[in-house]
Amino acid sequence: MFESLADKVLDLTGEVAYIIPQAIIIVAALLAPLLYFLTKNGKIPAIVSFILAVGAACVCLGYMHTKTYGTAFGLFEFNAFSGLMMCLFLAVAGLTIFVSPVHSETTKHQGEYYALIMAATAGMMFAVASNSLIGIFVSVELVSITSYATVALKKNDPRASEAAVKYLLIGAFSTALTLYGMSMIYGALGTITLSELGYRFSEVGVNWVVLMGSVALIAGYGFKIAAVPFHSWAPDVYEGASTPVSGFLATASKKMGFAVLFKIFFALFIFAQAIQYQPIQYIFAIIAAITMTVGNMVAISQTNIKRMLAYSSIAQAGYIAIALAVMSQYAVTGAIFHMFTHVVMKGGAFVIVAALITAGLGENISDYKGLAKRAPLVAAAMMLCLFSLAGIPPLAGFTSKFVLFSSAIYVNGEVVTEWLWLILIAVLNSAMSLYYYARVVKTMYIEEGESTEKLVISKVFMVAIALCVIGIIVLGVYPQPLLRLCRTAAIALLGF
Amino acid sequence: MELYEFAWLVPLIPCICFVLAGFIGHKTPQCGGLIAIAGAAAAFVMAALVSYGYYTSDLYKAAEPFVQNMDWLVVGKITIQFGIYIDTLSCIMMLFASFISTLIFIYSLGYMHDQEGRRRRYFAEVSLFLTGMLGLAVSSNYLEMFVFWEIMGLCSYLLIGFWSFNHEEAVEKSSAAKKAFLVTRLGDVCLMCGLFILLYIFGSLDYQNIFGSIEAHKDDVLLPFAILLMFGGVIGKSAQFPLHDWLPDAMAGPTTVSALIHAATMVKAGIYLVARSYPIFTQCEEAMVFVAAIGGFTAIYAASMALNNMNIKRVLAYSTLSQLGYMVLALGAGAYLISLGTKNGDANLIKLGTAGYIAGILHMINHAFFKALLFLGSGSVIHAVGTEDMRMMGGLRKKMPITAYTMLIGCFSIAGIPIFSGFWSKDLVLEAAFAPFHEGLGFGSVFCVLFVLGMITAFMTAFYMFRMWFMTFTGEPRGHCHGESPKTMTFPLLILSVFAILSGLVIMGNFGYYVARSLKTSMPTAGIFVEKGMDVVKEIFTTPATYVALVLAIVGIAIAFFMYSKKAYDPEKFDQDKKPLYYRIVAKRYYFPEMYNQISWKLGYGVAKGVEAIDKQLIDGTVNGLSNAVVGGGDGLARVETGYVRDYAAYVALGVLILMGIFAVIFIYGGGF
Repeated sequence: MFESLADKVLDLTGEVAYIIPQAIIIVAALLAPLLYFLTKNGKIPAIVSFILAVGAACVCLGYMHTKTYGTAFGLFEFNAFSGLMMCLFLAVAGLTIFVSPVHSETTKHQGEYYALIMAATAGMMFAVASNSLIGIFVSVELVSITSYATVALKKNDPRASEAAVKYLLIGAFSTALTLYGMSMIYGALGTITLSELGYRFSEVGVNWVVLMGSVALIAGYGFKIAAVPFHSWAPDVYEGASTPVSGFLATASKKMGFAVLFKIFFALFIFAQAIQYQPIQYIFAIIAAITMTVGNMVAISQTNIKRMLAYSSIAQAGYIAIALAVMSQYAVTGAIFHMFTHVVMKGGAFVIVAALITAGLGENISDYKGLAKRAPLVAAAMMLCLFSLAGIPPLAGFTSKFVLFSSAIYVNGEVVTEWLWLILIAVLNSAMSLYYYARVVKTMYIEEGESTEKLVISKVFMVAIALCVIGIIVLGVYPQPLLRLCRTAAIALLGF
Repeated sequence: MELYEFAWLVPLIPCICFVLAGFIGHKTPQCGGLIAIAGAAAAFVMAALVSYGYYTSDLYKAAEPFVQNMDWLVVGKITIQFGIYIDTLSCIMMLFASFISTLIFIYSLGYMHDQEGRRRRYFAEVSLFLTGMLGLAVSSNYLEMFVFWEIMGLCSYLLIGFWSFNHEEAVEKSSAAKKAFLVTRLGDVCLMCGLFILLYIFGSLDYQNIFGSIEAHKDDVLLPFAILLMFGGVIGKSAQFPLHDWLPDAMAGPTTVSALIHAATMVKAGIYLVARSYPIFTQCEEAMVFVAAIGGFTAIYAASMALNNMNIKRVLAYSTLSQLGYMVLALGAGAYLISLGTKNGDANLIKLGTAGYIAGILHMINHAFFKALLFLGSGSVIHAVGTEDMRMMGGLRKKMPITAYTMLIGCFSIAGIPIFSGFWSKDLVLEAAFAPFHEGLGFGSVFCVLFVLGMITAFMTAFYMFRMWFMTFTGEPRGHCHGESPKTMTFPLLILSVFAILSGLVIMGNFGYYVARSLKTSMPTAGIFVEKGMDVVKEIFTTPATYVALVLAIVGIAIAFFMYSKKAYDPEKFDQDKKPLYYRIVAKRYYFPEMYNQISWKLGYGVAKGVEAIDKQLIDGTVNGLSNAVVGGGDGLARVETGYVRDYAAYVALGVLILMGIFAVIFIYGGGF
């Protein structure tokens, strides 16, 4: 049934079919402000955006199910990888929009808010689908510019304006670096099409200009993934932005950065399988090791929960960066899988923080004293999210970390010792991370709070939290279906 | 369908009870208590059926395990499975864990009756705890085992911190929970690293695959590291020196939880891991000397701390540490003997090593019974007098006779008085420790020292256990007492005391042979144990060491009797201002807790602060010029509360420069790409 439906869509629309998911989201971005100005009710654009996001995700899943893969206008490719990543972005966008109407920090500018979130999502979807450097650049800029604005939208808080300005300045700096790097690569290789980069690179050979261009790209997109030392904006921004936006940036925007890095660097160094250039792998390995270590270490001394979560997501970025170092199918599978588990656990944690802020609780960890008595279900959910982030089995975080870490032992079906040191650092790091997660759990469950009054949590939040918790448990206990999708995506990305 | 094919039900039943008790517990009688008891009892029945099915099957006769797997994680060429692995060892683990847990849960009905609504949380968590242990026992690969291992760690964290609400010592209690969690986690990290190395060596974590291909990989350079790291996990979980310190602090939880942790679950997991990994451990005899030495040292070290402690639960906690040391000592010595025996093709050594293995397992079972008995007995005492300080007790024998005499049985058992269960296994343990010296093998002197330490420990054990008993139950009453505990609490005590007397007698049957079968299933070359039960008994009674140990135990009891019951020598003399140095050191637990605090706080937090400082400020002083050059124009906007934008930009610039520098170095010096 799905097959015939997909055929019909293809017959009707031709190659436009491959950008229908993005088109739906753009429609949502345009509709949201219109609906808001017509109705003056913030819930309407939220509901419409949410429905369209779910619809777009269904289209993606339908295409993936029927293997309707292809390229629109020679620019935007829908394949197993971009389809799966689109689902991830739409899931995050859906979660963000779902909780925004009931969240107290959400601004008066509701129409623009949903339009910006939707536009950013569309940008991410275009970025993972692009098959040229310029396509990627423009899409990522769409995401960046809308993100600056969403951070600034929380106008009643000076921290937000500050964060937005910083975000903008560092972002502009990174954009300049990115563009500079791309122009160097174009200058050296004479192409901007990803699929040709590798072949041209093998013809030209390793040269100085390509490497400098790569460095500039690592720095430019390292900003997006918040890799050390390009991470310093992240804690300020996550703290300053309204909490659903922080969650959106930490889970979706960061994943887009990874997807783009995967696309560009695998195209350069792996896709043609012509050049195996070791130093670039070591550079990524060092960045991964430093990123996870700095993220975890600094997280220990944080007192603001959002800042702590920010550093913890820097650390998580370090884990995912292992795949950039190892550059194997298994590692990429693990990385994509970890992105998904990160969405449910980190997204879940941010949603819980948002719910508690709405219920009148502060952002400091010490405000969570005695939470287990005031809101037992939320405290239990928070505990699961944090323990999953720390990698305690049988939760999702453990399973994905195990796949990711063990990938560094098996490279292309062979056992290697090369990355054993990286895994040991990663395992030590994830042990260290338990310290600050357990501290929050201890505060919630063990310390006595000043108030024992029950907190009223909106049903909408409870549904969102429940979805995340179900995700954490299901992905931990029965990861196989998603893992298979991730593997297909990794094959589509790497070409083998 | 054979009975043993339903082994997956054994951990599943308590897991279902966990969900039921957690969600609808407050609507059921006893706040979920009956659900938890029914679950544990059903798990025990199931375990018994599975064991019976396996015992009567052809698999048992052929010394093969029953394995059933389904795929859990499949990525490329790696498949991690989720399944069950049934052999004699897993049957034994399931049986005693579920049986003792059932009794402890019944006891909890009485012990926790005043906790009202919070019992729901308690019964849900203990059910999950039991799930962890039973799952660990039936797991078919190391990763699955690790999953259950961690579930237990998590439950222990929650249960040790159970009193943390509304309790006068809440802060202390909660930090005990955190300590237990973090210290055992340190072991878990070692274990995880060890498992990664195993995965690297064998390409699989499946027991059957690893045990089957051990011959091909036995010379791998990394194997000793894997063994030591795995043993690191055991040190954490089974509280061996130097990660022992969480166990005494874990006394902060309800006494029933202590009984569960010490007797039926948690700490036994580490012993189980050593026993299960025998095929791997026996590949490296030097590491086994280390294992045995850690065990022997922990035994005497922990016993010394029990000598002067005034807290009834802590005395028992130290005795657990000490007894766990015995088990590790026996298993380490056994593995050492088997290792040398296989290398030299000496069947006698393998036989002696197998005896060490059996001694470790038997001591684990016996310890489970008498320690559960002692803990539940102490819980009954605490319930009646409302304090854990033994100086406030005394003369309770008349007021609570059942508790007093069942605990006396426990004391006899742990002290190693003949007929009582502890006697048999302790003797086998010491014999195993002595064997390498007796056979004149390398490191013989080490084992001789360990044997002597074991002997001294036997003396100390008898002394401090009876010191506890005499202080609590004899002499003048020193405080208020409610009288004997309710039947739900005394009934489990009576059952356990029967086992504390009789469980050692299994050695007269063919117990040794059954256990050795499990070794044979994983190591076809080892596991030869042909002696009949009565021969073992005869051997025990013809060895001089048996009588030496017995005399030492009796002397220990006698000293305790004269000091604490007859007051012939006043122990209060130690309590004066001029305490001997040794007394003070022991009372401070050899300054270990303080060292931990210093390390974890001063170092850990200091490093964290330092990194943050570098992260925030270092660049400020050093690269201001650079940052001005890069984003000099942004000054007006850049001044902010949480940090300088220009510093952030300087980071980026510095990062780029460093990366370029790395490439430049490679480009210029590496030359080749």
